[in-house]
Amino acid sequence: MEKEPNKNIKLGLFVIVGTAFLIIAMYFIGAKQNLFSRTFRIYVNFHNVDGLQAGNNVRFAGIDVGTVEAVDIQSDSSVQVSLIIEDEYKSYIKKNALASIGTDGLMGNKLVNINSSHDPGLSIEEGDVLASVHPIETDEMLRTLNKTNNDVSTIARNLRIITERVNNSNTLWSILTDPAVAENVKNAIVSIKITGERTAVISGDLSRIVASVRNGKGTLGALITDTAISHQIKQTIVKIQLVSDTMAYISGDLKYITGKIRNGEGAVGTVLMDTTFAGNLNKSVIDIRKATSGLTASMEALKNSFLLRKYFRKHSKAGK
Amino acid sequence: MSENSFKRFLSDAGDMTGFVLRFFRELFKPKQEWRELLRQCYYVGYNSLSLVGITAFIMGLVLTIQSRPTLVEFGAEAWLPKMISVSLVREIAPVITALICAGKVGSGIGAELGSMKVTEQIDAMDVSGTNPFKYLVVTRVMATTLMLPVLAVIADAIALYGGYLGANIKGVVSWELYWTQVFDALSYSDLLPAFIKTYFFGFAIGIVGCYKGFNSNKGTEGVGRSANTAVVVASLAVFLIDLIAVQIADLLGFT
Repeated sequence: MEKEPNKNIKLGLFVIVGTAFLIIAMYFIGAKQNLFSRTFRIYVNFHNVDGLQAGNNVRFAGIDVGTVEAVDIQSDSSVQVSLIIEDEYKSYIKKNALASIGTDGLMGNKLVNINSSHDPGLSIEEGDVLASVHPIETDEMLRTLNKTNNDVSTIARNLRIITERVNNSNTLWSILTDPAVAENVKNAIVSIKITGERTAVISGDLSRIVASVRNGKGTLGALITDTAISHQIKQTIVKIQLVSDTMAYISGDLKYITGKIRNGEGAVGTVLMDTTFAGNLNKSVIDIRKATSGLTASMEALKNSFLLRKYFRKHSKAGK
Repeated sequence: MSENSFKRFLSDAGDMTGFVLRFFRELFKPKQEWRELLRQCYYVGYNSLSLVGITAFIMGLVLTIQSRPTLVEFGAEAWLPKMISVSLVREIAPVITALICAGKVGSGIGAELGSMKVTEQIDAMDVSGTNPFKYLVVTRVMATTLMLPVLAVIADAIALYGGYLGANIKGVVSWELYWTQVFDALSYSDLLPAFIKTYFFGFAIGIVGCYKGFNSNKGTEGVGRSANTAVVVASLAVFLIDLIAVQIADLLGFT
């Protein structure tokens, strides 16, 4: 058997170790609930706390800075949440910071997030009330999701109809599966590519031309850009207008004259329009024709007369 | 036969109640046996430590390894330290400690007092002027009542260390992160009910062992039976107290 004092030492050690473990555990658990550090209290009013409970964490910039002390209902539209914040974070949290209710992870505990504002502000003090942001409610989210789901199901139904139609259409399939079509499409794309390249070249040229035109190079450029020429053109146009005015005037006169001629007025009118005169003229012409044929016979007789034969022979030789 | 055993059960329950009441009467009577109490504390507490420690370590390790696949299935592997800390501190470490003590200490007390009874040492003690109840029963029951909570707290610590090793077999959890998460998951409402119920576990183990030993008869055969029934009844008592404790904790809001 061991000596009594030895046993007592071992027993004492055993009890001390056990008690120490208990005290350490209680300290750490208590420290987590801010029982041993200096703290201050602030308040936030929410419309809906979404299941927040006393003991939930308070986070500032993602760091656990305190816990929720109590959740008290104040009126039908206001719930006051009192927060216990550790003193060491006092200087970082400003009076204009915004509090919101969030969730730790997707399924985790509720917590209060304090988000700092960009605007400058005074440090928070004991008993201050922070402004709150309306929390995102799961119910509301699910309602929206439900609506989205219905929309998606409608879209899916339409898609199914479309795919069924595509499946049932032999024409479309034959087009899709025909290798010739693919070849044609390939060729077409190649052509389009070539055209495109050419178009690019042309448009490059065009842009060069446009640029030079803008700079006043070439005739067109000069026409477009030279103000002196444009002034001259304007003057020319004015003159052309003048001329055409005069022409209109002249043509008015001409119309008057032709009208008179048609009515047989004046010498020209008589010549052109008088039928009696025309008949006389006709008769005169017939008489002239008769006279010329008589003359021709007289001339033949003259050729054969010995007096004038020599003259005619000489005349015809000279004609050859 | 069944009527007989039922009557025996009722008379046993009545005797036991009387025994408990006698314990409380004797507890406050003068002349406390401090030296004997310390000796019993040494046997109950210190001597059980290695057994309780090994059991707790293995329980922590095994629980962690067993829980991992299910948590991985939920994608909640990061919750492993939190889960095992709550289950170990609230339930497993206290109950395992109590059961181990019921087996080791309860049977020891039952056999020791039983053999003293059948060899009439207790009667001799009475004659010589020493109060046998005070000297034998009160010291042992007080020793189990006081030592079991200490054992349970140490078992908590060892089991959580086993859990740390278990968490690092397949995953990687740093020492600091592990303990941060363990204490993050715990609150006083986890620790205190579990701690308080171990007093009752210890009291039940001590009082059942003493009762069975003190009322032992029929010679050496009776000693064996005393030791055996002491373990069985003490283990059952531990579970009954656990059931009552969880209901009371629930009623008081320690969930």
